[in-house]
Amino acid sequence: MTTAARDTAGRSRFVPGQPDMWAFVLFESLVFTVYFTVYLVHRSQDLDLYRQSQTHLDLHIGVFNTLVLLVSSGSMARCVQAARECAYRTALTNAIWTLLFGFVFFVSKVFEWTTEIERGFTFSTNEFFQFYYFLTAIHFLHLLIGFVVLAVGVRELRSPARRSQETIETCATYWHTIDYLWVLIFALLYVVR
Amino acid sequence: MSAPSTGAMPERPSGSLVRKVAWHWRHDEKRELWIGWWTLVVFYNLYGLLFFVVTRTQPPPQPSLDPAGIVRWFDDRHHGLIYGYAIVFIVGGATAIMNATLAYSMRRMSVSRAFAYAYLVIYALATLPGMLLMGIACTVGAMRPDRDPELLSWLYDFAFLSFEGTMGVFLVGSLVWMAAVLLDRNRVFPKWFGYLNLCNALTEVVVAPAWIFKSGAFAWDGTIAWWTNMGVFVTYTAVFLTLLRRMILREDFGTGPLPDLPREGAPQASGSMEATR
Repeated sequence: MTTAARDTAGRSRFVPGQPDMWAFVLFESLVFTVYFTVYLVHRSQDLDLYRQSQTHLDLHIGVFNTLVLLVSSGSMARCVQAARECAYRTALTNAIWTLLFGFVFFVSKVFEWTTEIERGFTFSTNEFFQFYYFLTAIHFLHLLIGFVVLAVGVRELRSPARRSQETIETCATYWHTIDYLWVLIFALLYVVR
Repeated sequence: MSAPSTGAMPERPSGSLVRKVAWHWRHDEKRELWIGWWTLVVFYNLYGLLFFVVTRTQPPPQPSLDPAGIVRWFDDRHHGLIYGYAIVFIVGGATAIMNATLAYSMRRMSVSRAFAYAYLVIYALATLPGMLLMGIACTVGAMRPDRDPELLSWLYDFAFLSFEGTMGVFLVGSLVWMAAVLLDRNRVFPKWFGYLNLCNALTEVVVAPAWIFKSGAFAWDGTIAWWTNMGVFVTYTAVFLTLLRRMILREDFGTGPLPDLPREGAPQASGSMEATR
């Protein structure tokens, strides 16, 4: 069996990309579970304040952000699929689309924060907005790191000398984590009433 | 980094622990590394005891205490603060040995030495807000109980804000270690530890709101700003102590990839101080 075939066989038994990145996903999921639990406990203690504050969030922007990230995850998945089929030009195009959708989310999130602050809802307005800014900001930090991760993926795809399938799948795993964490944050902050 | 060579190494003695330790002291080529590792283990435990039990400054008290409450807080812990921090001031220099052991792991990697130097400087700096400033402020408060309560309140805020609110140095230190682990080709640490450094760095960020809030989840005693951060830090510390121990066991003092540990049952090349535990 060749090294490449062994690698493929080895990977198919476990998970896509580096298993180490999945340890990161697991650990971050645990940490965010704690954040969400603390949010829900505080929310249950002052339900009226939270419900009333939630009405000041723009649900349309929340839905738009969610759709943008879901589409970005879709293009990342197409990038991985194309790379598996050695269609590296298509993979690169999809990776760049992912970056662009991520940038749209970035701009949209900054616009949303600016709008909320202009309307007088800041980090210290009340407990709901503490959690709103905290959860969206910590997610935003993950997004910024995601740009670095995607840049590594694009670098891999651009050079025939590199093109490590494992690295590309590892980058995709990180990007999907940003997406899945956002879906939970969106549900908790914007939807759950 | 190794003990002086004495030609053919005498066989490791069986029997009393003292004789084994004496043998390792004289012949174990990893002697200094084990001293560094044990310093880490002993002092993390000692600091835990001093901060949580003797001085009772951790978990942190309420940031919203009024001046009268703060005077009572210092009074309740008078002897604990004085004697506890006296020990911290005496043994605080051990952090140099601890940091050196951590930096050694980066020196053993295939990456630039700049990573180890940056880590050493950052953590030498972190000792100031992370330990000494808090200790000095609390000791002054405990030794001058007759001063104006407003001044004691200032010391109280200074102590806990310097400890809780200055996590940026730890954040950057974690990122330096993360970058070193992810770029390393000598397999000193598994890659997942690099990502765990990122998790630790991200939970250092959540402490920042402690500067703004005096109550709730983001205050310096809050469920997110303190409890979550501390939970992740304790896990992170336990993990890197375990991985450092494995690194020392695997160390061959070469410059290439670290060899794997021999499987259980396979003959070992030589004894090590590890065998005494």
